[in-house]
Amino acid sequence: MSSTTGTMTATSAHPKTHAKPVSMVLHGLLAEFDDDHKLVAACKKVRDAGYTDWDAHSPFPVHGIDRAMGISMTKLPIFIFFCGALGTATGVIMQWWMNAVDYPFLISGKPFWSLPANIPVIFELTILFSALSAVIGMFAFNGLPRHYNPLFRSERFKRATDDRFFISVLASDPRFNLNSTRSLLESAGAAAVERVDDTSESEAPPRLFIWAHAILLCLALIPIAMIYRARNAPIDYPRLHVIFDMDNQEKYAGKQAANPAFVDGRAMRLPVAGTVARGMLRQDPALTDGRVGDRWLTVFPANVTIDDALLKRGQNRYEIFCAPCHGFDGSGNGRVTDVARERGLGWVEPKNLHDEDVRLRPVGHLYNTVKNGIRTMPPYGDQISGESDRWAVVAYIKALQRSQRAAPGDVPTEKKDELNNRK
Amino acid sequence: MHHAETIDIMQEPRHLERARTVGHQALFVGVAALGAGVAVALFGGKLDGFLKSYLVSYTYFLSLALGALFFVMIQHVTRAGWSVTVRRIAECITAALPIWLLLAIPLIAMAAKIYPWMTQTLLSPDMAALVEKKRQYLNFGFWAGRIVLYFLIWSWLAHFFYRKSIEQDSTGDPKLSHWMHQRAAIGLVLFAFSLAFAAYDLIKSLNPGWFSTMFGVYYFAGSVQGFFGLLIIVVAWVQSSGRLPRAITTEHYHDMGKFMFAFTVFWAYIAFSQYMLIWYANIPEETRWYLSRQTGAWAWFSVFLLFGKFILPFLFLISRWPKRMRELLIVGALWILLMQWCDQYYLIMPAENPESAGAGQLPLHLNDLLCFIGLGGIFIWAVTQRMASCSLVPERDPRLHEALAFENY
Repeated sequence: MSSTTGTMTATSAHPKTHAKPVSMVLHGLLAEFDDDHKLVAACKKVRDAGYTDWDAHSPFPVHGIDRAMGISMTKLPIFIFFCGALGTATGVIMQWWMNAVDYPFLISGKPFWSLPANIPVIFELTILFSALSAVIGMFAFNGLPRHYNPLFRSERFKRATDDRFFISVLASDPRFNLNSTRSLLESAGAAAVERVDDTSESEAPPRLFIWAHAILLCLALIPIAMIYRARNAPIDYPRLHVIFDMDNQEKYAGKQAANPAFVDGRAMRLPVAGTVARGMLRQDPALTDGRVGDRWLTVFPANVTIDDALLKRGQNRYEIFCAPCHGFDGSGNGRVTDVARERGLGWVEPKNLHDEDVRLRPVGHLYNTVKNGIRTMPPYGDQISGESDRWAVVAYIKALQRSQRAAPGDVPTEKKDELNNRK
Repeated sequence: MHHAETIDIMQEPRHLERARTVGHQALFVGVAALGAGVAVALFGGKLDGFLKSYLVSYTYFLSLALGALFFVMIQHVTRAGWSVTVRRIAECITAALPIWLLLAIPLIAMAAKIYPWMTQTLLSPDMAALVEKKRQYLNFGFWAGRIVLYFLIWSWLAHFFYRKSIEQDSTGDPKLSHWMHQRAAIGLVLFAFSLAFAAYDLIKSLNPGWFSTMFGVYYFAGSVQGFFGLLIIVVAWVQSSGRLPRAITTEHYHDMGKFMFAFTVFWAYIAFSQYMLIWYANIPEETRWYLSRQTGAWAWFSVFLLFGKFILPFLFLISRWPKRMRELLIVGALWILLMQWCDQYYLIMPAENPESAGAGQLPLHLNDLLCFIGLGGIFIWAVTQRMASCSLVPERDPRLHEALAFENY
């Protein structure tokens, strides 16, 4: 081996750029052929001689050369298949997670997880993963991109992209021997055989190359810097409006302008006769307003059924919207109240819901307070929307009040044991 | 090329005289089976059931012949080189098309027994009112005229491409290839419309209240898928009879397998596209067709079709080696042929009204088998008579050398 991979010293491969001598090592042998038939025949000979580290070069694809070179079937399809299957799995899991688990979003009344709607995306991701893996895998399996090959040093080899055919046998092949390999190639019908040398160490890239990259890198930072500035500095001009969508359309809204499209010429239209605004339907004032005429309801409206579910719902709404000020037990010691007291904010204390005046208030009045507010308490009708939820809150308040003034006889027997045991 | 040997087509055995006797036997069995079917239907008093069984096998073998016609034209229009050695066999398969016009006569004569739009009594009042709006298109005279027109188009196209191809066998004139190339472009347009409307008229109008513009493409996709299954079987039969031993190679089987795979995926794509749009919109007039096919046993049949016609063949054919291994490919082709028949069964047999009594049952009947054998026998007879009468390869086609030297890489 060592005798065959002899080194030699060339004065210069590129006289202009290198004044000092560069040490060269043998890269391999390059054989030139006249046509593709001779190339295929020679490939068979090189293959049969047992060489492994060699290649054939042709200006066009040659049918059957894989077999002539003894190249086994590519593994790329298997790689693509598994990447495609990964795409399928990604499509399934992504959509299941997004639409059925993490952010359930009702579309067209279909189930959150419904396969027919998801198949197009699963299909597209399968194709996408397969196609990308085919391209990337092809490059990777071929060892591409490769910007430099020692064969490029051969003047003769330039015709490999034009009208000549080559076999290159590398010195790294265990069977390589300068003389015997040369005679094999010659006997296989080569028109010419030449040795190709390479520098023993990698050369530094040209200075221009380094400078060009440094400048490009700096230029690439500019957009990032601009984005950073835009995100962190106040600006006094309107944002760059790249895609208009329908942001700036001609419209009559908000203008008391004339609109010739209507007979009366008014742009601002009156609602159609009989229109009821949202939440303003008052067919049953007992239910919607908690009163009949001027009198507050003293009992719950007929179509509100007090049961466990309603109280649970009332507790849920109460603890979200009422408890921050009135406290979880209704005694007016909510977290907001605590903070206001600590900081001395001059806060009008929320009512203790167990005070006598609150206890004796008719339920209709409580309902009205929840919906429209009272004194400094703001209305919660918009947050606790729907009559049923508001009545549920009222029911829960009544339950809270009862809980603070219960007689021992009110406690169910099984709970009584629990309480006794706790003591 | 590294092929040192070049195949001389004139040295190949390329005439299959035995086909004629096989055809006569098939015709005998077929006519006997069909006769038995008619007898069973008459004595059982279930003529409408027999007609539906007949229609299933009728559209099944029609789809294979149409797939063959499509294949011939697409090879001409793309000036394909690889397929020349198997093209003549496809041309022979199109011989069934004129015969199928004759076999349409019982369908046309007794159409009122199975096509509900012909008599109001078979439909619910709402559906009848809807169908009344389609009367200008769905009336007996126009319908029967259209059926005849489709077959005239197909028979004319099939005859043209066969005749010119045979003519080239003796003259070797490359101008004929050029002419067929041009005619194929026009022929494909005619073919596309006639096939789609034939699918609407023959199959879809069993459900006259239903809407699906994709239905024609659905029938087309299954036709070509099934045709490649048939082509593989016929080519394998020809070769096992010692004909064209070197002209048709593993490379050609590989390509036919690739096409069968491609149309397996295409069928699934079209079937799903039709399903998803209807599923998503969820409009009663459209969903009722699927409802009939998701009621009772039909639901299982739908799942069977999904796996049998797409998922299993997809996984089976995706790899390179089953397509290059003749025995495996033949198994796949037979399976595809079976599934194409099941698909016709699925399209034709379920009840028009998903709420009618017995809508959820598979109406399996002896007549399904008898009609399959009967029409299959006639189909084989039509194809084999032509196969026996000519060379099995377009021996002087200017692109024949491409097919002989063809390799997959």
